[in-house]
Amino acid sequence: MEKLIDILEELQPEVDFQEVDNLVDGRYLDSLTILSLISEIEDEFDVQVPTVEIIPDNFNSAQKIWELIERLQEEN
Amino acid sequence: MSYFKPFYLFFFFPLVILGYYLLPKRVKPLYLLFCSYVFFFLISKKLILFVFLSSLSIYLAGIWMKKMNERRDCQLQNMEKEEKKIFKEKYKQKKKLILIGTILFNLSFLFFFKYLNFFMTIVNKVFQFISIDISFPWVKRLAPIGISFYTLQAISYLIDVYREKIKPEDNLFKVMLYLSFFPTIMEGPIARYTEVKDDIYQGKKITYHNLCFGYQRILYGLFKKLIIADRLNIFVKLAFQRVDIYSGATLALGVIFYTIMLYMEFSGTMDVVIGSAEVFDIKLPENFRQPFFSKNISEFWSRWHITLGLWFKDYIFYPVSLSKPVKKLSTSVRKKMGNKVSSLLMGAIALFAVWSLNGLWHGAGWTFIFFGYYHFILILLGNIFTPYIIKLCEVWHINRKSFFYQFFQIIKTTILVFIGELFFKAPTLTVAFTMIRKIFTQFSVSKLSKEILKLGLDSKDFIIILLALLVVFVISLFKERGFHIRQKIEQQPIVLRWTLYYALILGIVIFGAYGPGYIPVAPIYADF
Repeated sequence: MEKLIDILEELQPEVDFQEVDNLVDGRYLDSLTILSLISEIEDEFDVQVPTVEIIPDNFNSAQKIWELIERLQEEN
Repeated sequence: MSYFKPFYLFFFFPLVILGYYLLPKRVKPLYLLFCSYVFFFLISKKLILFVFLSSLSIYLAGIWMKKMNERRDCQLQNMEKEEKKIFKEKYKQKKKLILIGTILFNLSFLFFFKYLNFFMTIVNKVFQFISIDISFPWVKRLAPIGISFYTLQAISYLIDVYREKIKPEDNLFKVMLYLSFFPTIMEGPIARYTEVKDDIYQGKKITYHNLCFGYQRILYGLFKKLIIADRLNIFVKLAFQRVDIYSGATLALGVIFYTIMLYMEFSGTMDVVIGSAEVFDIKLPENFRQPFFSKNISEFWSRWHITLGLWFKDYIFYPVSLSKPVKKLSTSVRKKMGNKVSSLLMGAIALFAVWSLNGLWHGAGWTFIFFGYYHFILILLGNIFTPYIIKLCEVWHINRKSFFYQFFQIIKTTILVFIGELFFKAPTLTVAFTMIRKIFTQFSVSKLSKEILKLGLDSKDFIIILLALLVVFVISLFKERGFHIRQKIEQQPIVLRWTLYYALILGIVIFGAYGPGYIPVAPIYADF
């Protein structure tokens, strides 16, 4: 989780990722930042994020993104 | 028939409501389907066959994929992990064939009705260039109404079934209703299956609350369309028809009026559409969120025609940017130039695909293709330069959250939108560039004051337009600030509430631009 927070803070330094739970709905993450984030996640955690998983619900908070990573790791 | 014709407002829609109200719950969805097909038939006659074929094809493909999934899951039970992976992949490939085949089947109708003439003209030009004496004739084809909208909806259903995001529908009538629901069939919104399935098939009761809320929204749509859009139409028509005689300032005003007219017509239609569905307690997705408060073009497109933007995002932008070849390219770029550049590249390739298709979706013509690439370039430049602008603001101590900075951003975005809409409306690229040239080189305010009253509108019309726009602006401002004006109206005493409704009705009747001297705007998006 710490690694993920580091990645997120590097991409969007102005956002408090421990608190915000509407990253997509509140427009903190735009589509380009999501692309950067996916690249970082795939590199760092050795998973493949399929297009079907790119829904606001999976990216609205650091916790939700972490749950997605864990689920993808499990499926692998 | 359109949603603003008296036939729809005073005959068709009330009759649908009456029948729906009287019929038992289980028959209500079937009745809605029947009414939707009647609506479609009244506009497109025998072309109704095509919406039926689209529904049938996605229904059958959905069932086929569902059966395949069941068979796959059954066979997977006794397999080892590695074997499972190979087996799953094999099934995925088979499903992909069904998906692609059905999408192509649906796109073939769209291509035939909308794009064949355009591509034949290009082929003819190529043949002429290489001296081949063959010429394909231009054939006038009347397309089924809303084909561009329901085809995208059909594709979204198919892809969501393929991705196992939704369970395919077992009942053909339900798929038919999803694709042909009469309020959405002409101009959208492009609703996803998951967004409407819970409401549309339930046969919910018509309540006093929904009736009032629905009609309230319909009235607001009529206000925008009849008082503003229809009034501006004559000015816009003349300005774009006689680019040669009017001064740059008058043409600029024509472009501004066109953009306002387009917004009032399309968002007004959405009000009538969403309000009509609301009467049956069916919640449709919103298509506009105060677009003229946007601070950049990217934001504008997340507030304007929202359902189309989301469709492109989910089914083109992410699949293209995360496709194997693009990922491979971005990985090699990332190693050499870092993550930011590689993401920019991935985004740029996907954006190029999105805006090529977005331009073409709006129409088969070079002006629309240019309109698409114009936005592609603006968004790409925004993506590249925004980090530098943020840094510059920090260095120069400019507060990006200050009112003046944000106001400047909104004005800049609005001007860029005006230029985009100029290309959207102009009949040819030559006319569009002539207009741009005249606006920037022959901008004469004194000529404007002489010409302004010669384009079909008098000073009273301008006052009415200004006041009506002020009403829309205040309502938009309230919405932007998160103030729920409709709920507030509902909380008022009944006398005040109904006085407001009657004032709105009277306002539309008195100030609506109909009768001699006015040309009502034809449903602009229904032609796409």
